[in-house]
Amino acid sequence: MTLKLLLVADSDSQLLAAQALAQGAGAGRAAITVNAVPREGTPAAVLEALERQGELWRQSLRQLLNEPRLDGFDAIGVYLTGSKLAEFRSVYLASRRQLGRPTRPLFCGFNGVVLERFEEAIAWRLGYDLICLNGPRDQARLELMLRHTPFAGQRSVLTGLNRQRGVEPQGGRLNRLVFAEQVVMPAEAAERRRLVRSLAALARRSPDWEVLIKPRVAPHESTFHTVETHIDQTLVEALGSPPANLRISYEPLAALLASSRVMATVSSTAFFDALDLGCKPVVLADFGLRHDLGTPFFAGSGVLRQLESAADLESLAAGPDPDPDWLEWVGYHPRFTAENLLEALEQLATEAGPAEPVLQHPGYVINAAELATNQLRRAAEAALGRRDLEEAVRLLEIAQLQRPDHRNIARRLAAMRIANPIARRLALLVTPRFRA
Amino acid sequence: MKLALISDSPAALQACLHLARQLHGAGVEVTQIVAPALEASLQAAAPAERSRALVMEPLAFATSELMDHLEAAGVFLDPPRLAAFRQGHQRAASLRGQRGRPLFSGPLQPLVGDALSADLLPRLGYDLICLHGQTQVEALAWLVRGSAHAAQAHAAIGLWSLPSAPVGLAVSERPQLLVLEQRAVPGSAREKALLYRRFQALALASPGWTVRLQPDYPLPGDPQLWEETTLAWHHRQDRQRPANLQLGQLEDLPLSLMQAWACLGISSPWLLSAMVRGKPTVVLGDYGIRTEFDGPLFFGSGLMRRLADCQPLERLLTAPAANAGWLADLGWAIADGPQRLRRQLEALAR
Repeated sequence: MTLKLLLVADSDSQLLAAQALAQGAGAGRAAITVNAVPREGTPAAVLEALERQGELWRQSLRQLLNEPRLDGFDAIGVYLTGSKLAEFRSVYLASRRQLGRPTRPLFCGFNGVVLERFEEAIAWRLGYDLICLNGPRDQARLELMLRHTPFAGQRSVLTGLNRQRGVEPQGGRLNRLVFAEQVVMPAEAAERRRLVRSLAALARRSPDWEVLIKPRVAPHESTFHTVETHIDQTLVEALGSPPANLRISYEPLAALLASSRVMATVSSTAFFDALDLGCKPVVLADFGLRHDLGTPFFAGSGVLRQLESAADLESLAAGPDPDPDWLEWVGYHPRFTAENLLEALEQLATEAGPAEPVLQHPGYVINAAELATNQLRRAAEAALGRRDLEEAVRLLEIAQLQRPDHRNIARRLAAMRIANPIARRLALLVTPRFRA
Repeated sequence: MKLALISDSPAALQACLHLARQLHGAGVEVTQIVAPALEASLQAAAPAERSRALVMEPLAFATSELMDHLEAAGVFLDPPRLAAFRQGHQRAASLRGQRGRPLFSGPLQPLVGDALSADLLPRLGYDLICLHGQTQVEALAWLVRGSAHAAQAHAAIGLWSLPSAPVGLAVSERPQLLVLEQRAVPGSAREKALLYRRFQALALASPGWTVRLQPDYPLPGDPQLWEETTLAWHHRQDRQRPANLQLGQLEDLPLSLMQAWACLGISSPWLLSAMVRGKPTVVLGDYGIRTEFDGPLFFGSGLMRRLADCQPLERLLTAPAANAGWLADLGWAIADGPQRLRRQLEALAR
């Protein structure tokens, strides 16, 4: 059975997650279409790679929900940020109901390792037919969070951290360290300068090696986090003129990892790309185990290294490989693959159509629950009552997405958007407010 | 058994005093080592407790010979100072040709998720980490798995920092809702202003009730120094505040909690005190599950509801109790915490 899957993603990280999933789902078992929601600053290289890999759509969420081909898929995978995830699920279900069309199973997941805010992220994802998790570590956290609650039956599946097609070990790798930069880890400018200085010192101590800093995004591109000072600027600020064997590279990370001996990171998911591509990963221990850096995730990896005190790059390259038990625990193991998702989806297909999940339980609040239309309208009125106009507009905008033909929602929203406060008050007085 | 408990913040001092009372029942003699900055806070303690306290710089105590007369010490300092205390003590003991005394530490609150990981990290390497319940035990195991701290000793000793003993007071004559306010949840002046207006509206809509805004943190004695990020500031500025919207002070909190007919808060640890005492309790769900608001802590409580669903307030009085399984895993199921701690420390001291 070949499953027809649609993956919906927006920011570059989410698109990469979709790409990895599409790559991991074996050819023949799944036919995958990716919809990249248009977004300013999305790296062209990511879109090009998706285009090369299979069918790529570029529709907005609104266009997508009106797309007749949407019902032709067997399941839909959603890789959006928290609130948009919940919004998509809510709007999708409402739109199918309104159009009298069947719903398809919805699944979602995470883009790489989850370093922080796991519980918050799950609170946005509850209600999806399947939540893809990386490995046993995340599954244990999910179980603990939902234990004793009405959400304990939430289904999940382990899809692992393999993101690249593995390559055979090659002899001819370059004496090169690739540093996979992250835009906010560390976030402090002084620490970012310290990081660059320690890479430069290591380059000086290793004249036969090359050190490449691979920025997360180019200066004109954007990612989930806002970049205040791009790493190429930090390099100039910290070093003036860097050593000849240290430079910034914008080549694709996969290509760099496939040809280099060592990869270093603070806490990037690129750690696992390096393993896929036969490059030895090390995790910087110079800043200690700090929650804000995501380094505690790697505490058991066995490859934490102090760059500042390393003799040279050869000594880093000669260090041990990651601990296999830890790798399996976090999800890097052949038994955690996209195949598990396909099996779970096939299993779902044998069951009666997906029942709409019950997300309202007395005593429990989840992030996604407010997204029922009437609740949104009520919450918008409550926000208006406490003079929080911005929040009221936000909530009603989502309600309007769900019920675009609802005249009262449209009128109320139009009234809220009037810039002149007096005119707005008058308009709010005459437009019908939600009472239920 | 002789122990010292060392604190350098008002919250740590309160937790240490509470732990000492429990340990006393387990036959342990506890000396409080209190940082000089806390001298005023110590004055609020009972005379007997004050007599068992020494006001002393914690890092000086770490290296002093007084430590030689103890079986172990519990260190509840500001996290960045935890490593310095441990290293200082070990170095001083080594110079005296002795083995250092067993040191223990642990999160002051039954934190979960990111807040717990961040709290545990600087405590790793202590001889013993005292945790609250099964939830924290599991989280610690994940944090240290495979790492240099994989063998980190720990003991789950229940909700050790949480005042839960009845103080023998009946509820107030007039119905009272106690609103447990936190300093930084929400953190901005604008959000606090919105929150204040909502409680003002609640008080207006509930003339038969007193709505008491109760900070769970100390406010400066001089109201001029109150900040806009406190409900107290907004209460003071409000020219039309309803008579039934009152303001409490931190020292009133335990008494107010006992007298309240119902309690409400976002993620104040005092909500747990209310829950274990069987008070009708509401965890405000209007903000959803947000990490910076400690939302994950009360996700499983079964007591979350939106403010709009709390009216009329009489409705709260028939609300169900907290989710028993969740509360048990948080630490409420452990009744012999002080004895467990004593046994573990005795084993370490051997």
